[in-house]
Amino acid sequence: MDKTDIIASPNRLVWAGLLLLALAAPFLVGFDLYLIHVGITISFNVALATSLWMIWSLGVISFAHAGFMGIGAYASALVLTKLGLSMWYGLWIGAVISALFAMLIAVPLMRTRAVYFFMASWAVGEVIKRNFAYFKDFFGGWDGVFDIKPPVLDLGFLQIDFADRLAYYYLALFFVALTVWIIYRMNASRTGMIWWAIHENELLAQHTGINVFRQKVVCFTIACTLVGVTGALYAHYQTYISPKSFDIWKSEFALVHLIVGGLTTVGGPVAGAISLTMVDEALRATGYFRTIFFGVVLIASVLLLPGGLETIPARIRRLFNRKSKE
Amino acid sequence: MHELEARGLQMKFGGVTAIAGLDLTVEEGEIRGLIGPNGAGKTTFFNACSGRYPVTAGEIRYRGQKISGMKPHQIAAEGLVRTFQHVTLFKQFSVLKNVVAGNYLHARHSYWGSLLRTRKTREAEAGSVARAREILDFVGLGALMDQQAATLAHGHQKMLGIAIALAAEPKMLLLDEPCAGMNSDESREMIHLVRRIRETGITIMLIEHDMKVVMGLCDRITVLNFGNEIADGTPEAVRANAQVREAYLGSQAHVA
Repeated sequence: MDKTDIIASPNRLVWAGLLLLALAAPFLVGFDLYLIHVGITISFNVALATSLWMIWSLGVISFAHAGFMGIGAYASALVLTKLGLSMWYGLWIGAVISALFAMLIAVPLMRTRAVYFFMASWAVGEVIKRNFAYFKDFFGGWDGVFDIKPPVLDLGFLQIDFADRLAYYYLALFFVALTVWIIYRMNASRTGMIWWAIHENELLAQHTGINVFRQKVVCFTIACTLVGVTGALYAHYQTYISPKSFDIWKSEFALVHLIVGGLTTVGGPVAGAISLTMVDEALRATGYFRTIFFGVVLIASVLLLPGGLETIPARIRRLFNRKSKE
Repeated sequence: MHELEARGLQMKFGGVTAIAGLDLTVEEGEIRGLIGPNGAGKTTFFNACSGRYPVTAGEIRYRGQKISGMKPHQIAAEGLVRTFQHVTLFKQFSVLKNVVAGNYLHARHSYWGSLLRTRKTREAEAGSVARAREILDFVGLGALMDQQAATLAHGHQKMLGIAIALAAEPKMLLLDEPCAGMNSDESREMIHLVRRIRETGITIMLIEHDMKVVMGLCDRITVLNFGNEIADGTPEAVRANAQVREAYLGSQAHVA
């Protein structure tokens, strides 16, 4: 096959290794419930950061991203608490509602550029959160929604109750793997090339025949659909959600994951979300100082590792090359 | 039917009139020069034709179809493609990827195809890459295919800009100062390239400040000044035109 850089060749070995490690992780940690919980949190954060990175391929960062995660979460939660339908329905209903809102909001949002987009998306994120808080009867106000039961998978011969943390870990892993796979595939194809072309030079992209506006709306919608699914999974795992679960800070942490991980490949957000979630959990013992330490880690990584974690393989390669030359 | 036709074209930006009622036609297969002093409205005319800015009044037709009011991507899809005065590339992309991206209109892009990487998609991509290689060989950048666009020399960057435009398979090209900032060797190469593009059946309209380039290359020349056409004809006729001399050199009265 004619290999060009048009379809980036995946580092299959690394991805397969990562997936195997994730599959084996519960066994490696001796089924420690807390560590499995960390694993589930990592999964959600990876999905959040990766789908945010997909929007970044257009050249913008959406601070409304956690808001769309919230739309998926609330939709799925309310489908359960009000209609009595399990997460198996809520997941898709959440995804569809998240997609519809994303498409509607993208139409005005994607007419703004650069810093105006950041501000507008910030406002959208805040409005989504405030709506959950304001419509108290429907969304439960600041108290949020309780009792969002995890689903049970009934295959007839086998019943899996996802109230079990280990089962939920594999469920989350399945969906995060699916999310990363979809984003990877989109990015490594003509679609990704179009989005990066818009990122690189919107004017030129337009004049080569690309309907830039439509592409932006589609990209935003796909990313928000994926994060909507993540939100639904989050809701049924936590069993409790409130507007505060989906505020600007969540989007900002995802942005930090992106920056620390790297912005040019899918590996960036994945590496950033995994490592920083671990750091965050490790710092839990420091209590109040947690955010300060987190800030130190962030600044140190930006200063010492410009380009993010994704540049590590290339750095190592360069180091070896230099040594072999000496 | 004219290849390109402007009727009563007006372009105003606030109180500034960039083009004041321009009538202009370009015929199929010609190389048309568009010259004039700074601020004459040349680039504005290209911006109007390519849909970058909306026209204030009048209309532009391309092969009989009204294109004023259409969006840039729609006009590109009609086969009227432009390049830019300043180097305009996908700078972080490789040279090859720049041209493959430019081939968008003919790459049959689909989202599901991207996700599932169907055979149709893979074939379309391979075709796109093959076409891009052809174009790069044609413009003479074949050896630089894997280099990052940002690292190219200025002359090569301008060539790449034209390669990207060619990848959209245009029937007419609008070249905005293709030789700007080039040394005489690069200029000569560019002139040669423009001629070869015309030989493939593409109509060309170009803005250029270098009179040697314009006079040597164009079949006809249109001269603009303050948003009006002041002359139109063969290079010889334009060179001899008193109004053109005045626009470029100032009137005799001032000199005397």
